[in-house]
Amino acid sequence: MNPLRRFLRAPEAIAGAIILVALFAIALSASLFFPGDPQAIAGPALLPPFQDWSLPLGTDRLGRDVLAELFHGARTSLVVGLAAAAAAIAVGAIVGTLAGFTGGLVDEVLMRITDAFQTVPSFLLALAFVSVVGPSLGVVVAAIALGAWTGPARVARAEVLSIRERDFVAGARVIGMHPLEIAFREVLPNALPPVLALSSVIVAAAILTEAALSFLGLGDPNRMTWGGMIAEGRAVLRAAPFLSIIPGVALVLTVLGVYLAGEGVVETTAVRRSLS
Amino acid sequence: MSDFTISRRTVLTGSVLLLTSTALPTIGLAQTPKKGGRLVVAADSEPRNLNPAIVASNGVFFISSKIVETLAEASFEGKDGLDPRLAIGWEGAADGLSVTFKLREGVKWHDGKPFTSADVAFSALQIWKPLQNLGRTVFKDLEAVDTPDELTAVFKFAKPTPFQLIRNALPALSSVVPKHIYETGKIEENPANNAPVGTGPFKFAEHKSGEYYRLEKNADYWGKDQPYLDEIIYQVLPDRTSAASALEAEEIQLAAFSAVPLADLDRISKVPGLKVITKGYEGLTYQLVVEINHRRKELADLKVRQAIAHAIDKDFVVKTVFLGYAATATGPVPKNDPQFYTADVPTYDFDVAKANALLDEAGYSKGDDGKRFSLKLLPAPYFNETKQFGDYLRQALAAIGIDAQLVNNDSAAHIKAVYTDHAFDLAVGPPVFRGDPAISTTILVQSGIPDGVPFSNQGGYKNDELDALIAKASETLDPAARTELYKEFQKKVAADLPLINVAEWNFISVIRDTVGNVANNPRWAVSNWADTYLAG
Repeated sequence: MNPLRRFLRAPEAIAGAIILVALFAIALSASLFFPGDPQAIAGPALLPPFQDWSLPLGTDRLGRDVLAELFHGARTSLVVGLAAAAAAIAVGAIVGTLAGFTGGLVDEVLMRITDAFQTVPSFLLALAFVSVVGPSLGVVVAAIALGAWTGPARVARAEVLSIRERDFVAGARVIGMHPLEIAFREVLPNALPPVLALSSVIVAAAILTEAALSFLGLGDPNRMTWGGMIAEGRAVLRAAPFLSIIPGVALVLTVLGVYLAGEGVVETTAVRRSLS
Repeated sequence: MSDFTISRRTVLTGSVLLLTSTALPTIGLAQTPKKGGRLVVAADSEPRNLNPAIVASNGVFFISSKIVETLAEASFEGKDGLDPRLAIGWEGAADGLSVTFKLREGVKWHDGKPFTSADVAFSALQIWKPLQNLGRTVFKDLEAVDTPDELTAVFKFAKPTPFQLIRNALPALSSVVPKHIYETGKIEENPANNAPVGTGPFKFAEHKSGEYYRLEKNADYWGKDQPYLDEIIYQVLPDRTSAASALEAEEIQLAAFSAVPLADLDRISKVPGLKVITKGYEGLTYQLVVEINHRRKELADLKVRQAIAHAIDKDFVVKTVFLGYAATATGPVPKNDPQFYTADVPTYDFDVAKANALLDEAGYSKGDDGKRFSLKLLPAPYFNETKQFGDYLRQALAAIGIDAQLVNNDSAAHIKAVYTDHAFDLAVGPPVFRGDPAISTTILVQSGIPDGVPFSNQGGYKNDELDALIAKASETLDPAARTELYKEFQKKVAADLPLINVAEWNFISVIRDTVGNVANNPRWAVSNWADTYLAG
């Protein structure tokens, strides 16, 4: 049975995949359906949803189109989630490979640094980093990656420790390859699959962290974000709860979708591995 | 928390009172103030320094004005808009070089020592003039305070100082603290700054960080039969949405300073037993202002500033950001000021086409992407409304081709960025008008203010004509002539736009209808509450 068919047999994986595809479609089509500035004032303030079909999800406290904000917010969430996860995995894989392959003092130093990062709650770290450097998209991505690279680093190191004893590594040494070349061309690619399995968790956590930062007013204020929308809506929670509920639901669905699809992929590859 | 436990005795007395009250016939509608009871109010911040003589700000006054009294309080009916407190009479000399205060007899500090003119002299010379944020400007020429007897204090000025200004400054700037407590050691580090000692109707009892402040009745207060309340509790509720629910759940009886979000007022005004009150803040009008950094070459051009003024729809701001609880502004003095306001100033209607034309004229034409230039916009984080106006201003500027990038900061970082580092192009600020332009308004325009003074002109604006006008008004003794000069000041500011005044607003209180004698003076929330009582 090929992996794709196995993937498609798990209903939760399909659900996750559908949500993710929809999300990507929304993020990519944001400029198509809502060209121009999503923060432009489009109608009367605090219009409830489903009243005016040109503004299907209503408007916020300044009269901005909630649907346009939601579409453009999907972009920020996805960009931050993917970029932060990619950065975290890249840094983690490199640190883990270096530590595991070199061993000795380098391993000790790198792993103690990892420990140090792991003892600080990652959200606190992100919060401190953003408030010192100042909020902008790049800084938010870096702040989230800063707290997320330790997991991949530990997994990569564990994998490398077992791979470096294999015959092909000894073979590479014998033919005189440079140790760094062995580490990154021979060992790392083989250590990567379990590290990548962490990605769905990291992406989901990154999206949530970004939302939490925006909610606290530490997101990029010039970009639409779902966390920022919830924070905006909080002031009128009793009068217009939809302003907080709509982006909240979008956030829940996104994280759920990422997580389910990720689980599906992991399950599929795990079965294939055990079969082989 | 033993202070809050209900003893059997209080329950019994309570029920006896209840029984007798049903037996008593109702004596007309006019309510006589009832004695006793605990008033619980919401506090949204916990000021560290509670000494109002040093930190003259509403956050501090809200708590400490009940403990430490001023020479006079603002009043709706009193002569010159004042009501006597620690002073019972004041008189300015014709040459503007001295002001004589007659002090109240028989006033005692909370520790039992008598209040005398020495305390007034000490507060004025050692605290108001050198240390107080607002007193520094108003009392800058104060040279000495003579105390011919225990109940007379004569303020001597080096240069003629308008009596009108001193009068207008009394409610906010004249908190008197005890000399015998402050004369030893450094004033800024005195423990009484955190547990104030005063002459007011309430004594400071305790502060539990993150929980509450407790004030208790001063049985020796000079006011006859006052205060009526036994206790005031300031319940710390930093989350704005929780104040409304706490009122509804009857956990608190008063939420002042618009602690209840404006969007909730409509709903909460319909809750039985709760009242929404817009009175009692007339003496503390907040102004919504766009601060401009004139060091930016684009913004140094008057046409660009006029264009920005034309791009702002003030009616929209009042209607949408303030939900109608504000007024549009015409200039640096708010419309509700009875002494100085003039409507006869240049105005800027909302006119996007005109704004665009002005920018074209100034030579900043639109690029291919529809943008003329980019600006950094820093909305002050203190109020929801200033942040929201920042969002609005960004859109209003986009409509005329100015790309504004928002920069959000917390309070401390905002003050540093704007008033010390000048790292802004436009900022949204909420200065306060305190009854006289010379107290906290002219410094928004005046040049030559050192870096780092918050809520002052840090935009590098310099206009010799306006500086001369401000200097002249500060030494003009005749009230009518002085008022005329400030009218001229308003005209010039509106014409040259060192900053853009958008709107002005007063706060709103939500209160249980059992609380009596509320909002009965123009600074009620920050007055002493000696006559406030709880009925039923």
